[in-house]
Amino acid sequence: MKFLEDMILKFGSVDRRFIFLLIGLAVFIPLLRPIDLPIRTTPTTEKVYNAIDAIPANSKVLMSFDYGPSTKPEIHPMTLGVMRQLLRKDHQIYITCLWPDGLYMALDALDEINKEFDLVEYEDYVLLGFRPGNEAIVKGLASDLRKVYTVDAKGVMLADIPMMDGVNNLKDFQFIFTGSAGYPGTFEWVQYGGDPTGVPLSSGTTSIQVNEVMPYVQSGQVRGILAGMPGAAEYEKLIGTPGIAIQGMAAQSFAHLVIVLFIVLGNLAYFITERRERKY
Amino acid sequence: MDNKQIQTYSLGFIGITLFTFALTQLPESIHIFQSDRAVMFALLLTIIMVMLNEVKQARISSDSIFLRTIPGLKAVEEAVGRSTEMGRPILYVPGIMDMNEVETVAGVIILGHVAQMTAQYETSLDVPVARSIVMQAARESCKEAYLTQGRPEMFNEDMVHYITDDQFAYAAGVNGIMQRDKPAACMYMGKFYAESLLFAETGNSIGAIQIAGTASQAQIPFFVTACDYTLMGEEYFAASAYLSRKPELIAGVKTQDMVKLMLISFIGVALLSRALSDLGLTSFNLLTLLGL
Amino acid sequence: MFLKRYIPIGIVAFFGSLTLFGWFIDNESIEAFVNDDATQWYDIIASFAIFLGALNLLKLQFLKVIKKQQGWQYSVVAIVSFFFAFTIGFFMKGAFFVGEDVYFTQKAAEQAIAVSGSSEVMIPVEWGAHISAEGGLFKWMFDSIFTPLSATMFALLAFYVASASYRAFRVRNFEATLLLLAGIIIMLGRVPVGSLITPWMVMYLLVFVGAIFMSTYFRDRKIIFGSFVLGLLGVTLLGINMDWNPTQPAIFFLPSLQEWIYTVPNLAGARAIMIGIGLGIIVTSLRYIFGLEKSYIGDQ
Repeated sequence: MKFLEDMILKFGSVDRRFIFLLIGLAVFIPLLRPIDLPIRTTPTTEKVYNAIDAIPANSKVLMSFDYGPSTKPEIHPMTLGVMRQLLRKDHQIYITCLWPDGLYMALDALDEINKEFDLVEYEDYVLLGFRPGNEAIVKGLASDLRKVYTVDAKGVMLADIPMMDGVNNLKDFQFIFTGSAGYPGTFEWVQYGGDPTGVPLSSGTTSIQVNEVMPYVQSGQVRGILAGMPGAAEYEKLIGTPGIAIQGMAAQSFAHLVIVLFIVLGNLAYFITERRERKY
Repeated sequence: MDNKQIQTYSLGFIGITLFTFALTQLPESIHIFQSDRAVMFALLLTIIMVMLNEVKQARISSDSIFLRTIPGLKAVEEAVGRSTEMGRPILYVPGIMDMNEVETVAGVIILGHVAQMTAQYETSLDVPVARSIVMQAARESCKEAYLTQGRPEMFNEDMVHYITDDQFAYAAGVNGIMQRDKPAACMYMGKFYAESLLFAETGNSIGAIQIAGTASQAQIPFFVTACDYTLMGEEYFAASAYLSRKPELIAGVKTQDMVKLMLISFIGVALLSRALSDLGLTSFNLLTLLGL
Repeated sequence: MFLKRYIPIGIVAFFGSLTLFGWFIDNESIEAFVNDDATQWYDIIASFAIFLGALNLLKLQFLKVIKKQQGWQYSVVAIVSFFFAFTIGFFMKGAFFVGEDVYFTQKAAEQAIAVSGSSEVMIPVEWGAHISAEGGLFKWMFDSIFTPLSATMFALLAFYVASASYRAFRVRNFEATLLLLAGIIIMLGRVPVGSLITPWMVMYLLVFVGAIFMSTYFRDRKIIFGSFVLGLLGVTLLGINMDWNPTQPAIFFLPSLQEWIYTVPNLAGARAIMIGIGLGIIVTSLRYIFGLEKSYIGDQ
């Protein structure tokens, strides 16, 4: 028994680099050898799916890429999934970016989607690109889009793009989706975009942001939320196109298991230490 | 709250309600008021009324206002003292956002108080910032602090220095400073995002005493987990009042509590009204009536 | 004194009030100012202020290299990176197109034409579009340097979350136990592996935690042990009775349980904190507007 206790104590006081190593392995191995795990969809993800599904065919949808490469693994699968669902119903996609690096994310997503849908620029989508100004951009889009964007990301005048005919402000869109990793992002779209114009809005965020956005989801200001990588995986399941998020679920599951295991071991060590200290 | 105060607030509230109502009834030719925002307008005026009245009362006598002990703020002086004893610097991070964020402004204000202490204790202070305007404001704040403490020669402009605007590049820069300079105390006061845990864990690994203050709700758990003290939300905004002990600032803290009390009462009444309406006992619902 | 004190306070009071009360005024010019102009003014000022920051960064890094201070080698990397990004942003755009192919330099493109002997014409990318054009130097820097570095920093969080939670989650008292339990349920319930854990395992765990909880209130070991055994027995009998159903009782099924914790107690707390923070922001902003708080201009 003493040997076991000593072992637990040893584990309980391991150097944090050992924990890092195990976490690394827990993430790395399932990525190399993917394991199928059951994905259960949650109501918040279903809400997003249903909200997008309910948009009348051939509608205009605004997608905002408000994230950068750091959060790409979490949010990119969501934006890809949403684009797939939109294009299957022949919606037209208008892409804006509140983050400078969002432009690169959008270009990457378009490249990826192009492989499946054979996209035609200015017929299926317009990449409006990045404009500096954070919430001022959302406010500007709500009042006059053409004041914010005179040209698209390629420098083509909006007046020369037929797809832009009749698109003057946010009210001309049937739906807004934002892939958001922080500021500016979901909050700014709710406060200055969705709420004042009444255009339905959904969002995909990093796991850590979900807690802050959930009150808006419950109040109906945001139509569901894709919550971090699990949310992205659920969405991939709903649209029937498994992707990188579903693949990543095994890695995330094992990482969580390792953390829980260490918490348990740490607590056992804590108990043993407490008891021994009381004894002597 | 005494009878006189209740009387003042009641009269004030009635006045505000009547004034707001009058604004909504203005003739078309001079109607410039957004009537659908009347409730918000009345609420805003009520908060202003409470604040101004509390400030007035506090200026007469601030003794009656009790400010509970906030361990995180008490620890600031302890942290400065510890750094002095160890002969190591203090690292102060005023968040990653610009001066248009109230949290950053609050962070710069607290920095002023910390700088006063470092001037007193003759401890070196290092303030890496992520925004140029914050750099200018923080410099001004530190300079004034060293001047008021009679130690202008100790102030060095470069104690506040710019790293980068990019979130993770800034995090890498600050973590590098931590690893190289091994500050004895790390303070994180401002608006934070995902970099919060990167800071706090690195600070923990070098054995620094860590004090965090933020209103970034999602980052509070990270700071609570990895820091020694955390000022959460309101506590953070009350820090300036707590450290300066100025009556008008303490009155601001009391205003928050008074408004909170009003909101709790309103939530209670609204809940009751909704329940009565749902049960069919009344024909109206307060929230619908107010257009909320 | 007048320039450094009263004018800034006056500006804050005027523009603060205008922005605040402008929201209630139905006037196009004021609305345009509040919604667009004011924020854009700030952005323009902030954009120019970047020069101050950049100069400060360069000054400190150069000083570090000159004085050979600790870690000066990193400063060399910082300086080189700065000028590299500056050059490819403003002076060298790359992306010279020859048909389908794209080259970093004009020389390489011309050489390619000469070698192939084709009639293709070299088309350089437009300034402005060069930052997002495939084959552009800026795009190359973004894809090959910035993206992996940013992703690495963010990925560190996974490791830090593990070490922080390992250190912090201790069963010190009832509240800490509750936090620990909620943390574990959320961590496991959010990921697919959570649905593989049956409600029965959770119930056994709860019996175990219940015994720990009892031990903080009762000293008598017999009572604690008796309750523990009774709990285990109860769960086992119920399990046999319900055929060890893997998703029932739903209240102990981790995904459902985490959903409830997340959307009910957690959100209630989150809302309370949100309201508190909101009030803090309102009162603090009003203090600035009314000139009660002047510390932001250095007034101690």
